[in-house]
Amino acid sequence: MAYKPQYGPGQTQIAENRRKQMDPTHKLEKLRDVSDKDVVLVMGHRAPGSAYPSAHPPLAEQQEPACPIRKLVTPTDGAKAGDRVRYIQFTDSMYNAPCQPYQRSYVESYRFRGIDPGTLSGRQIVECRERDLEKYAKELINTELFDAALTGIRGCTVHGHSLRLDENGMMFDMLQRFVMDKKAGTIKYVKDQVGVPLDAEVKVGKAQDAKWLKAHTTMYHSRIGTGFRDDPEYIEYITRIHELRTKYGFMPKEA
Amino acid sequence: MTETTFPQCRIVTERLLNPETTERLLNHVVSVPGIRRMVLNGPRLPATVTYGPAKGLANPHTMRKTIHVGDQELELQVHVGTILLELENREVIPALQAACKPVFTDYSFYIQEGRFMKTDPSLTDYCKYGPDADKTMIGLADPSSKSRPVILQGNK
Repeated sequence: MAYKPQYGPGQTQIAENRRKQMDPTHKLEKLRDVSDKDVVLVMGHRAPGSAYPSAHPPLAEQQEPACPIRKLVTPTDGAKAGDRVRYIQFTDSMYNAPCQPYQRSYVESYRFRGIDPGTLSGRQIVECRERDLEKYAKELINTELFDAALTGIRGCTVHGHSLRLDENGMMFDMLQRFVMDKKAGTIKYVKDQVGVPLDAEVKVGKAQDAKWLKAHTTMYHSRIGTGFRDDPEYIEYITRIHELRTKYGFMPKEA
Repeated sequence: MTETTFPQCRIVTERLLNPETTERLLNHVVSVPGIRRMVLNGPRLPATVTYGPAKGLANPHTMRKTIHVGDQELELQVHVGTILLELENREVIPALQAACKPVFTDYSFYIQEGRFMKTDPSLTDYCKYGPDADKTMIGLADPSSKSRPVILQGNK
């Protein structure tokens, strides 16, 4: 029988959402249409339209050592061209944000090639070749993995994940990179991810309503969503991992 | 140093407060007799970017405003989320509860009684203020802070 990946345990809607996001055969719902130029602007690594600076000559132009792995692995477009490695970093609010740091790293590892994701408590960074990054970043921003109010694109000063929301339902941002246009009810970025003011605003659309967020979140939250303890299968899985890791620390030997 | 006999409490809200709501809340709170000292707590909103490639640039933020409380102007330096209070006695708490209620119509709040301000000067306080420190300042702000407290006239 062919192997069918399970992606993760759990019987709740949260667990199901996690599995859906991780499964590369599941097409992520597209919610907004942020253009290539706007994605480049928000990341702030290069001016839109400018050439990609390179870290080394294109692979076709340089002598590569004889290596069986290089023959097996097809380089990504960015690697082929010798692009620099650049990053995008997200902060996700714990108040029912659609994605969350650990989940992001799993999702990206299943869906993208040539990446180096890094998970921290309240933020997640992904590094890869610049032109690959722009393609991936566009998918991360335009799909159901992103909410305009509860997900922040923040390269530094990321605090906000575990803070209460403000009265407008927005996650705290010390640098206020994104603001709500109260008339239009939409959210726009006025600074790039490291806090440098943008020449042109980048509109990321309306924030999702509470009902949609509760149905699509991948974050357990006992007060405003689904509690982690409401998912016995997940608890069993985590307990098992914890037990095995602890036992392994003592180097057990089979009798 | 704070007298240990003075009770303390804090107002915690479900959401971080906009400056307008903070102003409205504080004006309700200061109308309650029996509040000795008050601290506005929350994540800081610096006037300039303190870290990263944009360090030193101005940091305009809609939540950092000057508000008018009682007879004083007060420049907010934080996005207010919690208000710590030191009271004359515990009987003030029900009056505080009643003063807060009309402000929070869209979301909830609660008042907790406990000990939230420093009650003894620390070594840093001693280094900063010396042995004859102004007792009303202890526990109100970080000793390295250069700002002074805002004094609102009592209404006893």
